[in-house]
Formats: sequence, C-alpha cells, structure tokens
Amino acid sequence: MSEAHEPAIAVKDLRFSYGEIEAVKGISFEVMPGEILGFLGPNGAGKSTTIKMLIGLLPPQGGTATVLGTDVALDDPGLQARIGVCFEEKNLYLNMTARENLEFFAALYGVKDADVEGALRRVGLADRANDRVKTFSKGMRQRMMIARAFINRPDVLFLDEPTDGLDPVTAAAIRATIKEEAERGAAVLLTTHDMFEADELSDRVAFMNEGRIVALDTPENLKLKHGTRAVRVRLRDKEGVREEVLPLGDGEATARLAELAASPDLLTIHTEEATLEQIFIALTGRGLAG
Amino acid sequence: MSPRLVTTILKKDFSLGPRSAVFLWALVLPLAITLILQVAFGSLFQPKPRLGVVDEGGSQVARDVRAMEGIRVREYEDAEALRAAVEANDVDAGIVLPRGFDEAVKAGERPELTFWISGESYASNRIVLAVTTIDLLRALEGKEPPVEVRVQSIGEAGLPISVRLVPVIVFYALVMAGLFVPGSSLVEEKEQGTLKALLVTPARTADVLLAKWLLGIVLASVMSVVTLVLNSALGSNWPEVLVVVFVAAMLSSALGVVIGAFAPDSQTMFGIVKGSGILLFAPVAFYVFPDWPQWIAKLFPLYWIIEPIWRVAVLGGHLSEVLTELAVALGITAALGVLAWSLGKRMQVQVAAR
Repeated sequence: MSEAHEPAIAVKDLRFSYGEIEAVKGISFEVMPGEILGFLGPNGAGKSTTIKMLIGLLPPQGGTATVLGTDVALDDPGLQARIGVCFEEKNLYLNMTARENLEFFAALYGVKDADVEGALRRVGLADRANDRVKTFSKGMRQRMMIARAFINRPDVLFLDEPTDGLDPVTAAAIRATIKEEAERGAAVLLTTHDMFEADELSDRVAFMNEGRIVALDTPENLKLKHGTRAVRVRLRDKEGVREEVLPLGDGEATARLAELAASPDLLTIHTEEATLEQIFIALTGRGLAG
Repeated sequence: MSPRLVTTILKKDFSLGPRSAVFLWALVLPLAITLILQVAFGSLFQPKPRLGVVDEGGSQVARDVRAMEGIRVREYEDAEALRAAVEANDVDAGIVLPRGFDEAVKAGERPELTFWISGESYASNRIVLAVTTIDLLRALEGKEPPVEVRVQSIGEAGLPISVRLVPVIVFYALVMAGLFVPGSSLVEEKEQGTLKALLVTPARTADVLLAKWLLGIVLASVMSVVTLVLNSALGSNWPEVLVVVFVAAMLSSALGVVIGAFAPDSQTMFGIVKGSGILLFAPVAFYVFPDWPQWIAKLFPLYWIIEPIWRVAVLGGHLSEVLTELAVALGITAALGVLAWSLGKRMQVQVAAR
C-alpha cells in the first residue's frame, strides 16, 4: 500500500475524447488512502470514462493519472492486481457457482488461499456458495459483484453504483462493508446517483458535469458554502401549525429562536441545510438524474 | 503475456465447457455425423469376421490368419473351449489345428480338419472365413488352385464413398471444435460483460486470446483424432497423423479467435460463419467429387489443412509428402495471429466503450 501521506489516486488535467466528443476535459483530483471520494454527476458527465482510464480500460489522451504511484498509461498488470472494481453491469459468469466465480478471479489476481467463504459470508451469500449465479436475484448478483471487488483485498476500490437494486437492509450492510474497507486503508472512488449514500459514505464529493469537476469538497463544506444558514421552526397555534424561518447569525433571529425554544407550542426545529442534489442544481443548472 | 493467467483462463473455459450448448454441440456433431454415415455407407455395424483357433503345434495356417487385417482371430486352449465359443457365437467359426498338421498336409496325408460354424453368424462372414481357410491350406500344401481366377472390377473405380467422406467428417470436427468453440466463447465473454471484468484484472487481451486459441486447438485435435479413429483412418503412422491434425487445429482455432475478436455479438458471429460457409466448406467437396478440377480446391484457405489429413491419415502417406501444404497452413495461421492481435486491440476499445 502507498504511504498514507501520498495519494492513492492522483489525477492531473486528465482528458479523453470519443472522436469529436470531449468526454473528460482536463480534470484534476486526488484520493488519499482510507478516503472515500464520492463521484457525482448525471449520465454523460464523464464519470465512467474517468474510471475506465483509471482502471486501465481506456488509455488517457491527455494529462496524467497515477494509481498507487503507477502511471495508468503504462498498462502495468501489477497495478491491476492491487485494485478492485465493481461495475454497474452485473458481469459475472452466470454458469459458474458463486464459489467458482470468486476462486477464478482470486486466481487471476494471484491471490493464494483466498478467503472465498469469508467473502461470501461478508455479503450474506455463504449459504449459496455452490449455486450457479444464474439462479441469483438481481440483488444477490450485486452482492456477488461486491464480493468479487473485495476478493484481492485491494488498495484502491472503484465502485460504480454499488448498492443499485439492493433492498434497504442489504444496502446498509454493503455501505458498512465499504466503510470497513476504507478503515482498512483502501482508497475508494464511489460513483453513485444516490445522494443520501454519497452523503453518508463520502469523506469528500466531486461534482462532475459535462466533462469537468465543478465542485470538490467535503459534504459539510459544500452544504455550508452553498446552503442557507437558517432554521425552520414549526409551532402550534390557534389555526393549526405555522412555520417560521430564522437566519442564523442574526441577533434578532437568535433572540426569537431562544423565545420559541422555550415556548410550549414548539413542535420541531430543522436546519435549512441544502442537499447535495440542490447544490448540484445550483452549480450546474441541471439535476443529477439527467 | 503471462502463462499463469493463460492457464487460469483456459482451465475456467474447460470447466465451463460442459455447461455450454455450443461446446457440447461441437463434441456431439462430428460423432453424430460419423454414426449416420457409417450406418448409411457401412462398416461400423459390419464387424470383421471372427475366427477361433486352437493351434496345438504352431501351424503356419494360424500364423498366416493372424497376420490378416480383415479377420479378427481369437485363440483358445482346447477344442472344447473353442466349440463352446462357437456355440455361443463369440466367434463366427473355429478350427482346431492339431500337432503335426502342417507336416501331414505337406506329406499329402489329407488329415481331417474340423471347421465349426456358429449357427448365428452372418453368411458373408462364414463364406469369408471358409474361403480364406481353404486358400491358406492350399498355400500350405504348395498347390495352385484348380482354376484360373480372373478378377474384374465392376463399377466406378477409386475409393469408396465412405472413405471419401472422411475429410468431410474431420472437417466438421475441426470447424465445430476449433472455430466455433473459441469464437463463441470469446463473443459470449463480450455479451455477458465478463471480458470487461477480465481486463481489469492483471489479465490482458493477449492472455484471453491465447487461452481461447489453445482451447480450440486442444478440442479440435481431440475431436479430429476421435473422428479419425471412429472412421478407422488413424492408421499405423499415427504420430505423423497427429502432427497434421495439430497443424489443422492451430489454423481452425486461429480463424475462430479472429472471428470471435471481430464479432461484437453471437448474431454477427453466426452471420459471418454462415456468410463465409461456402469459402470454409468448399475444399471438402473436392474429396467427395474427385472428378472436379482439383486445383480449384487450393484457392480455399482450409484446403491446406484438409489435404495433409487426407494424404497422411486417410491415404497412409508421410509428412514428407505434405510439407508444402503444412508450411502454407502455418503461414496462414501466423497471418491470422497477427490479425487477431490487431482485432484484440480494437476489441478492448469496444469493450471499454460498452
């Protein structure tokens, strides 16, 4: 594993075009070991192309990108042995059992004595180890994808929509597993459309739009920078329920908030913090789903 | 390129093989065609005549009959055991050659020879065995036959159709196992997205292509040899047959890899094979119809693998007679290898773009 003070992923002015179409227009970012970077953006923003360059599927056409200190343009198989990838498409060998799938990929990675049972147990598939993957549900296949991405105990993880199609309980379990991997020291580049997931998992998030990174910071900083510093107070009165919005940092409003807090009619107090989606819309003028 | 990764992918393909319809079809089709043609044109269900022999004194007759390829000889300890075998139809006929039999015949003593025939044996087998035995006895006696036999061949001269069809069957084995299996395996990896999963491991496109090529070579070699054995065409110079079969498997598998690397999906792949079917299969027609101008067959690439098999395996020739054909086949294989390499690069871009 790379030293903690050196970035696991370092991208500088990275570019890629499909013919005339510029998909990635000179982006730069870093991911440190143990850090989870959420990569957010609508379809066609350039997220997938960026990841394809970082995992060695596409050669960068401009700029530089290093993963674990190795230039991805060198196409070094030794680098691939240290990364784990979870694609959005469930590209598993359907006619192989869960165990055979993991054993095969462990062999490709050169992992001796791979803990296949442990990997399956971690994603809740230990009891289906000897069943062919084609008999698995969509959610089970997704869990297999996660197990496969972790089988070589990678130093860098690229996860594309890792909880897509999972029920809330399983999705929470997978998120916990991703956090464990980061705590172990793996750098994680997470692509997701799920703002709550990005918010919950990411140490930092990068907003990508039309081939460019338009914002890159911690979720808290983005919310502080782009959200409204105010609280919304709901009170009971004679006509039912009414709301008051009080800006923070304002002397009068602070006094009013203290008064309401002591009132027996107070129902709830909420911060007026912006969501990541609202920030993205504010920055780009378009939604994340588009 | 890594031998470890190539072996790992190859092992996976072999373990997945029995679960794949194309793989199983490649194994079954040549065998099915062999059975159908053997039934239609004879030989598989027409076993050789079986002669039981009790040779008490080392008779010349026993030695001669053992040397005959067309007769299957079984030895018995005594006359009682032989008789039981004939009664049970374990052999079609049986003879007991007592000690001193040859000397008695040569001395003109006309010794008695018991010739048992199984009641359940084919009439044709009885006749073959009886005539053969009489011929051998005459040879032992040193006398010419009492008549001059003039043999006249009636009907079309040349090899029987069952022999001329052998290249067709072997060709099926080569195309199905050598071309279809690696080609469809590669296309399936693309369609299921597993190729993308492979290419983000330490495996490279070259490792994948090489593994598929080896898969086709092994399967095509095995299936071709099995087909030749079933058609009694492996012969005594089998090491030389194995060489020509191996070269043929290399070329057909390289063609399969090229088609697999080029085709983005199964539909396109089968379209290519269908579209180029006439080019692929044309050379074998010249073995079935020997009156056609044979030089035309040389225009087709796969002629250069079928001709060595025909001459070495079916006609019993030697490698020295087909060196030119083998060299051309290896040249075509090398050219296909270069093409596969180039298509492999294009394939990686296609896979990444999906």
